[in-house]
Amino acid sequence: MKIDEIEKLRIGELLQYTGELIVMRDAAHQKLLELLSKNSQLPVDLNEKIVFYAGPANPPKNSKIGAIGPTTSERMDKYLEMIFKLGVLGTVGKGKRSDLAVKLCIKYKRVYFITPSGAAAYLSKCVKDIRVLAFPELGPEAIYNINVEDFPLMVAIDTNGNQIF
Amino acid sequence: MISKREILEKLTNHIVQVNETINPEVKTYIDEYKGPFSQALKENYKIAEVEKLPLCQDTGIVEFFVFLGNEVILEEPIFSTLSEVVEKVYTENPFRFSLVSDPLFERKNTKNNTPPVVHIFQVSGKSLDIKFLVKGGGSENLSALFMLKPSIGVQELKDVIIGHVKENGAKGCPPLHVGIGIGGTSDKAMVLSKLALTKSFKERNQNPVYADFEEALLKDLNTLKIGFQGLKEGVSVFSVHVEYAPTHIATLPVGVSLDCYLCRKGVVKFEDR
Repeated sequence: MKIDEIEKLRIGELLQYTGELIVMRDAAHQKLLELLSKNSQLPVDLNEKIVFYAGPANPPKNSKIGAIGPTTSERMDKYLEMIFKLGVLGTVGKGKRSDLAVKLCIKYKRVYFITPSGAAAYLSKCVKDIRVLAFPELGPEAIYNINVEDFPLMVAIDTNGNQIF
Repeated sequence: MISKREILEKLTNHIVQVNETINPEVKTYIDEYKGPFSQALKENYKIAEVEKLPLCQDTGIVEFFVFLGNEVILEEPIFSTLSEVVEKVYTENPFRFSLVSDPLFERKNTKNNTPPVVHIFQVSGKSLDIKFLVKGGGSENLSALFMLKPSIGVQELKDVIIGHVKENGAKGCPPLHVGIGIGGTSDKAMVLSKLALTKSFKERNQNPVYADFEEALLKDLNTLKIGFQGLKEGVSVFSVHVEYAPTHIATLPVGVSLDCYLCRKGVVKFEDR
């Protein structure tokens, strides 16, 4: 997805997204924040990426991909400006976000998508590839790169700050 | 004596099953739902069952409610058996390790989803009933304790509960199961609110006054129009259950626990013959 496509999206719009997502949640965000505060180099490039707030389950035997689904986005609101500054175009998760998140979506012209929660077996079928990018010691909280096909998204906050909840 | 092996086998199978198979009471509601993402929710439970995948990636923290008969002899302390059950379930299935040992500083993953949370209630006789919840973190974060004044009326208490669900419900993967614990002490009220979540939707409190309170709350909560996924369509709350206990003259503790739409729970019964 590109910046000009992001700006055209409106709340409630449903998309079948095919492409790349960066999977990270609480602990990985915190680690990135700590690295930034020390002026250390980050182990991931987030420029023009979409971040999916999730932590996958272990994969079944003979498969690389386990159940995966969104976690509560609001917990990540305190890191949102940090990742927008790193070039993130949009975020994917579940549930309503804080007023701060809405303001940041307007300020940086970014969007927030939701994807169905409690549907992790279904969503895992949209994941074609997964690999760890950083912090493998965190287990399900490591940073992953996934390639998805026809991944269901709904625009929950658009670049004008309109929100669905 | 009830053998460790018997507990291990029956409970392990049941916890795996509730992670992979849709709660039959919930299934009816999903099948009727036609709003946003309805197709994904319907296909999800079918894929999970056929492919032995968990319904949700958050396979939870397991919380046990052990009703232990005073004439029961156990092969080993119940906590260690239950810990072993959880370790077996989570290391032998494609589930997620969602527990960290030190909650504040290190937050290091235990890599087997142990330890579980265990509450033991002694009862009379030779039976051992183990109820359990597979509790996701998203809905767990919406738990609340209200220390209210004893003079609060029923309507005011309803308003407190409704206010809490209205403010937070959309974040807990609705439709929700609502557990209310009234009385005891602060900690007891919270445990009772969790125990309330182990009930099936149609069960009502044996005390008709509390049963009416459950029904009235359910009706009121469903006027909130939270809906599936918090998107305002479909039912908001499946059921409300209250557990209560005697309390101090100066207090009225009220615990509120919410369970996500999957309502993963079960009960396994044993007999010491």
